Order: sequence, then C-alpha cells, then structure tokens
Amino acid sequence: MVRLTLDRVTFWYPATKAPALRDVSLDVAAGEVVALVGTVGAGTSTLLLVAADLAPRVIGGRLEGRVHFEAPEEASGGRRIVLPTPWTQVSGMAFTVWDEVAFGPANLGWSREEIARHVDRALAKLGIAHLASREPAALSGGELQRVMIAGILAMDPGLLLLDEPTAELDPAGARILWQLVRELARGGAGVLVATSDSDAIPEFADRVIWLELGRVAAAGAPALVADEALCAAELGTTVADTWRMAGLAAPYPATVADAVRRWPAR
Amino acid sequence: MAGSLTPALRLETVSFSYGVVRALVDVSLALAPGERVALLGRNGAGKSTLMRLITGLIQPAGGTVWVGDWDTRHRTPEALARSGRVGCVFQHAEQQLFGRTVRDDVSFGPRVAGVPAPEATRRVERALRALELERHAEEHPYDLPPAFRKLAALAGAFALEPALLVLDEPTSGLDRALRMRVTRALLERSVAGVTVLVITHDLTFAAETVERALVLDSGRLMLDGPLPALLGDAARLESLGLALPPVAALSAALGLPGRPTRQVDAARALARVAAGRPVP
Ligand SMILES: Nc1ncnc2c1ncn2[C@@H]1O[C@H](COP(=O)(O)OP(=O)(O)O)[C@@H](O)[C@H]1O
Ligand SMILES: [Mg+2]
Repeated sequence: MVRLTLDRVTFWYPATKAPALRDVSLDVAAGEVVALVGTVGAGTSTLLLVAADLAPRVIGGRLEGRVHFEAPEEASGGRRIVLPTPWTQVSGMAFTVWDEVAFGPANLGWSREEIARHVDRALAKLGIAHLASREPAALSGGELQRVMIAGILAMDPGLLLLDEPTAELDPAGARILWQLVRELARGGAGVLVATSDSDAIPEFADRVIWLELGRVAAAGAPALVADEALCAAELGTTVADTWRMAGLAAPYPATVADAVRRWPAR
Repeated sequence: MAGSLTPALRLETVSFSYGVVRALVDVSLALAPGERVALLGRNGAGKSTLMRLITGLIQPAGGTVWVGDWDTRHRTPEALARSGRVGCVFQHAEQQLFGRTVRDDVSFGPRVAGVPAPEATRRVERALRALELERHAEEHPYDLPPAFRKLAALAGAFALEPALLVLDEPTSGLDRALRMRVTRALLERSVAGVTVLVITHDLTFAAETVERALVLDSGRLMLDGPLPALLGDAARLESLGLALPPVAALSAALGLPGRPTRQVDAARALARVAAGRPVP
C-alpha cells in the first residue's frame, strides 16, 4: 500500500534564513485525496516538492524532520509530480504529443504494447486523443497542460502530486481532472493537490490541509473550506464567502447545494 | 492619437490558420474606449491567437485588425506598443521577466517607448501602486513567488499606459486576494478610459471585472453580449464549454431577486431576503 508521511518537517531553500516549511506533519494514504490550500507564498508548492523528493535532493536546501514514502515494488506506482508550469516539464525530445506522453512510461521498462496501451488510455482520459500527432511546442497553454498530466497518468503513479493542475484548463478540462483524481484514488493511489480553486475542493477532496507561513494552520474535513478562519484568509469557497459577506450566521454553506439546504423556502 | 469615437480595437472578418489548423474564422468585433471585456472559450478555441493578432505578432490571413486607427498589417509589434495603442501580458509572462529588480522590469516598457524620464518614473510608480507592488519593487523578480511575478508583468503593461490592455489568463495561479487586487486595478484603468480585454477561464473573476463577454469556439465568435445575461443562461454556457460560476449559481438556486452575478450584489440580496426586507 502507498503511504506518504511527513514527520515534523522543516525545510530551508538554499541560501535562505527563514524556512519555507516549519514543523509540518501530515500523511497521505492509499485511496485518499488531500487538498492543500494557502495564500500565495504559504508553502504549498514547497511541500509538494518535498513530497516528490525533489527538495532538497534535486533543488538543494536543507531539511529537518523525516519524509517517508512507502510504495509497492513495481517500477510504476511511484510518486510523480505535475508542476504548475507545464511548459517547463516538456521533455523537448518528442516530435508528437503521443511520444511526449510515452516518454515517462518508456523509462519504466514496460513492453511496447504495454506502453502503447497506457499512452492511448491516458490521452483518451484527458480528452486529447485528437492531438496525438500534433507537435507539443505548437499547442495552446491548456492543451499542453492536459498533455503533461496525461504523461504522468500514463505511468500509473502510486502517489500523485499536483500543483495548481487546473490553472490553464477550461471548465470541461477541470471537471475531467477532478473526476480523474477521484478515479485514481478509487484505484488505490494517494493524491495530494495544491489548488487555489477552493470552490472545487468539496467535489474532489477527502481532507483539507491549510498552510500559512509554512505551518499547518488547520486540517480537517472538506467542510473546512467554509470555515470562518479560512474565509477570513480569503481561502473559503465563494458561496461561504458570500454568506459571510451577507452577515449571515456561521456555519457557512460550502457549496450551492449546501446553501439550498440551509435556505428556508420563502 | 485617435479620437474617442474610434474603437480601441476593431476586427473585420479576421481569419488565421497555423498550417492546416484553422485557429480563427471570420471574426468581427469592436471594443469602445473604456470598455471591459472578457474573451472566453475552451482550450484551443483561438483566444491566444486573437491576442497575437492584436499585438501584431502575427498577421491575419484574411480580414483586417485595427488597433485604434492603425491597421496592424502595416506595423510592427514594437511600433504598436510604443505608440501607446496596445499593451499586453502574454499567458506565461511571468517567465519573461529579465530585470534585476521588479522596478527595472516595470520600467522597461516606458524606457523603450522613449517616454521622457520624469514622466516614465511617474508611470512606473503609478503602475507599482495600482498592483500594490511597492514593497517588492527592489526585489529580484525570481525571488518572488510566480503569482507576484505575474503581477509584475501586469505592472509592466500598465506602465506603458496604453489605450488598450490585453491580458491572457492574468489570474491563473493567483489566490483570491490577489485576484481581487487585479480586479481593482483593472476597474481603475477602465475609469481612466482604458479598454480592457481579458482572456480567462475564471468566470468568477470575469463577473467581478468585466461587463461584456466574447466567446470563441473552434475559432468562431459564437457570442458577443453582456456578461450578466450570459451568466444567467446555464444551458448556453454549457453549450459553449463554460460553467456556471458559484455566485450566479447561488443566485439562481435561491431565486435571489435580480439574479446578481457579482459577489457584493449577491451578498446584499441575501442579507435583505434573509432579513425579510424587499430588495430594491
Ligand atoms: N504555434 C502554433 N502552431 C500550430 N498550431 C497552433 C499554434 N498555437 C496554437 N495552435 C492551435 O491553434 C488553435 C487555437 O489555439 P490558441 O489560440 O492558443 O487557443 P486558446 O488560447 O483559446 O486556448 C488550437 O487548435 C491550437 O492547438
Ligand atoms: Mg491560450
């Protein structure tokens, strides 16, 4: 079974005095989707880099505490990250979208058939099968973001780490992505996702972790995104925030459906 | 400079293809001075292509693009920007900063446009203030989180003080507080007579910021009209690949009078209905 554990992690970027993460403990288990929220600079991207074993191993810096990742023995099933900047993650070595998506799986020692099956499935899931023979460099921003997500999915990650995965996606793309995340979790993967789209959180997350200034400020059920403190930090859902702005009593509804349940018939 | 009756932007049956990919087909539209407009549509609909045409980076295969009184076909992108007719921020502009400090980057446009020093300094300060970046002015852009780099890129376009601002996805990766900051800054610019065209998928941001919507689908302009009306039509939104944003969805679901689409208006309506008072 997949499991990621951070135990009292403090992390400093190279040549900085103030840590970007302070005493962070959390875990993500198989089958679970955990959403990370925080204002810009709170540390959500850093936390994902640490979880992906890129910080400090690749980008440098210093870490105190313990990061532990457990996964089955297979070549796939590892931890994979989708960066918020898809164009920096392009291999630059593929002439077609199909090859770009195959790039990761090709390094897992799979047979040709197995690679092809995974690539075709990932392209279909992201709704970009029609782009298979296009050149990655000549795609629109949102199309490229879908391609990069497909490339990660095609590797069957055990732990999927996503940083603002819907930043460039249209509403249909965002819906597909959140459904995929749930589907992966049902299949036994763990998912940790940083998003500034609080409105989407109730539809896909099992738990929410709120980071402020590198620390865990609160953690709990998805209803946390309707919490007074989160709303005050501009991190609540639009519906909760509107309720609060109207001066109506807490607890605030997180979603339109919650609001309808709360609203007496008039 | 163009008189106030000349549209800030006018497209006449504009088409463009990348090889066999038809990115825009027969698009016609006009934006008046001071108008705030959102350009909406699915991934790959042609939005960024339209922006490249407006900034003169590419030329239409058919039709004409007028920026103010200039036909882009006879102008370079540099001349268009320098003339003060258009300023733009591309989709990944936060990757294109190169100054040693944020202030350096923001100053680049006015300097290249040949704005005299005292006036250039005033513009840079106004732009930094509009986006509340004074505190970060002396920092290296790459020491800032991407969201702040994005604001710095926006400030760079502001500092040109162009008649038309065109922004591609200005809010992606921004948290709500920063999105509201962008909204405030754009409303200010528009009051000063600047035409604002924003490409966005964020209809919550659009509802707070603009009054009119243009929707592209497969390169064709499928809709041109008031944004609140579009947000009141869930079926139409769906057919254009858009989704009902939460405020409009809340207004509809609770039957709020006037179906407000901006958050303050919805909050006001909610408060009044909850208190049993009629809504004016
Ligand atoms: N440099 C390019 N070369 C070839 N095709 C491109 C290029 N840029 C965009 N396209 C294609 O043109 C269409 C419109 O793209 P774009 O204007 O970027 O869409 P949007 O900004 O609405 O997402 C898409 O099909 C896209 O794949
Ligand atoms: Mg685009």
